[in-house]
Amino acid sequence: MKTAIRERSGSTIVDVTGDIDMGTSPSFRKTLLESLKNTPRLVVNLREVLYVDSSGIASLVEVLKEARKAEKRLVLIGLNAPVHEVLQLTRLTRIFEIRETEEAALES
Amino acid sequence: MSYDKDGAAEILPPQAMSGPLKFQITMASDPRLLAVVRSTISELAAVWGLGDEGCRGVTRAVDEALSNIIRHAYKNRSDGEIELSCRTDADCLEFTFVDRGEPADRSRICAQPLDDTSLCGRGTHLIRQIMDQVYYERVGEVNRLRLKKYLPGAKRKA
Repeated sequence: MKTAIRERSGSTIVDVTGDIDMGTSPSFRKTLLESLKNTPRLVVNLREVLYVDSSGIASLVEVLKEARKAEKRLVLIGLNAPVHEVLQLTRLTRIFEIRETEEAALES
Repeated sequence: MSYDKDGAAEILPPQAMSGPLKFQITMASDPRLLAVVRSTISELAAVWGLGDEGCRGVTRAVDEALSNIIRHAYKNRSDGEIELSCRTDADCLEFTFVDRGEPADRSRICAQPLDDTSLCGRGTHLIRQIMDQVYYERVGEVNRLRLKKYLPGAKRKA
């Protein structure tokens, strides 16, 4: 798994590539928590992610809790079918802010 | 498919293609191997005849089970040993996991109700959502977990 961080329109966007599993989720979690510190809106682009396990989901939930605590926003974009499926199976689609595209995330 | 003595491919009769499948690996409790196993199980599920969503589900259940063994039975040690075997028959796909780590907490295997903000417990929840039967037993120093998935419409046996 790899992450790349960039800024756009006052938001931080983290582009993620590869699988997020128990071997890679600690680095994923650390990157998101660090990025959240410096932005009012963190956009996580999962378009190049085809697998997220429960530890990756737990990382996203933890970052969401941190964002809410700091009155910031976490937006997920580019969810592929397998990633959407796992959010549905864990009944989390309603707690995350999910947008199709980066533009939609930045406009919202 | 097989090859005759001249190296030409020969298509096997249908019963040879649809018979039981057996597959077994022994792996270290190292998270770096999870991607390798996911790839293998996905292919296996496809050979058995599951569609894309079914393959993804079964692969996820196996991955979550292995992650739980690494995390809880071996306490994140990467030098433990896990035996994963799979067998299929006409209506059922069964995975068996054997490890020699710490005993599992049975209350966790019984999957508590999910809390939106909980940071743990989703792996077991996912396994139960995807698979039709989940059995765990501790035999001596060994943990044995069995996961079964039936084809849609198949008669379920205990």
